[in-house]
Amino acid sequence: FSAISQSTMPAYKLYYFSIRGLGEVPRQILALADVKFENVGITKEQWPEFKSKTPFGQMPVLEVDGKQIPQSFAIARYVASQHGLAGKTPFEAAWVDALADQYKDFNNDFKKFFYLVLGFGEGDLEAAKLEHGIPARDKFFPLVVKQLKSNGTGFLVGDSVTWVDVLYAEGSSRVAHEVPGFLDDYPEVLEHAKKIHAIPQIKKWIEARPV
Amino acid sequence: LCLLMPTYKLTYLHLRGRAEIARDLFHLAGVPYEDIRYRLDEVPTISESLPFGQVPMLEVDGKKLPQSHAINRYLANEFGFAGNSAIERAWIDAVADQHRDHEIEIWPPFLIHLGLEPGDRDSQMKEKIEPARDKYFTILENIAKENGSNGHFVGDSLTWVDLLISEHVYTFTQYFPGFLDAFPTVLDTVAKIQATPKLKEWMEKRPVEKF
Repeated sequence: FSAISQSTMPAYKLYYFSIRGLGEVPRQILALADVKFENVGITKEQWPEFKSKTPFGQMPVLEVDGKQIPQSFAIARYVASQHGLAGKTPFEAAWVDALADQYKDFNNDFKKFFYLVLGFGEGDLEAAKLEHGIPARDKFFPLVVKQLKSNGTGFLVGDSVTWVDVLYAEGSSRVAHEVPGFLDDYPEVLEHAKKIHAIPQIKKWIEARPV
Repeated sequence: LCLLMPTYKLTYLHLRGRAEIARDLFHLAGVPYEDIRYRLDEVPTISESLPFGQVPMLEVDGKKLPQSHAINRYLANEFGFAGNSAIERAWIDAVADQHRDHEIEIWPPFLIHLGLEPGDRDSQMKEKIEPARDKYFTILENIAKENGSNGHFVGDSLTWVDLLISEHVYTFTQYFPGFLDAFPTVLDTVAKIQATPKLKEWMEKRPVEKF
């Protein structure tokens, strides 16, 4: 019989725009997992045609062995689960999921301010900060600090890095960078981001990334 | 041989809402659980005991877990309603997240339309509810067809994303008969899901709630 390839590494291709956005966390998980992947940047001109080829008309999309997976959290969880980055027990994995969805809920409010900061859409920045930015921040980040303190390992869940650590670190560091001082009341959160971004594979990705 | 089942407690409101998929899973698996329901005005009194100050919350031998999708995925994995491969699980997650995005879009105008939230009741259906429906259910109609019109949205066995979509269709067609007539494969798939004996039994005997 024919020899079976010892390492049938799946061919990973990640499709997204050439910005960080929703593509950055999947990219960082792939980097953290030390898996080779093709980081495909779709341009604005290419998007309308490519859009019709995606399952939900959206990106990011991960292509694995010719199959497409949409939705950034589904992608992150899929890659993470294959590489020990999704929690060590089912209950831990569930807490990783819960924290990820809580972040999404926070971002759904927060983006009404943050997208304006990034230059997307129109509106009164100061008003959006008061109405959405500050309340969303002060509802969410105390919970994050509580979780970090009660878990006590420097990671959000368990005693090793999971994909939700990568999500939170990207989010909090981006906010702190774009709105200086905005997270100064949450030093534990900034410390967490620094710790995650110091992990060699992530550090290397951040230093080399195109955007 | 005595297999010790964990003790399960589910805390939510007097609604189907974000807890019903978990309830469906307990009934499908034949696993007992404490089905705790609070009035909305009682939630502040228990808020301290909720990890994110929110419901639903699952307790497994006293260990708490928030966030409905984390709860659904955890129970589905425990009870065998989570798909049959890593790729299938990823696809379930992707559809579930797309569904969550849709709910975030459709529920606010739905509540305004019902007069349960302030806003212009008359404009919601044409301006918000129907466009949201069309955008999402067009995708679901294709997903059901491409999956083989086999009574499931992903794979060939009952999964938690089947239940998620089924409960949503149940609620919206109850309020708006004919609402999904343009999506016959979805309706056919949901009819097959709802014919699952243990689910049918629960749906017939469960407390009648507003949604």
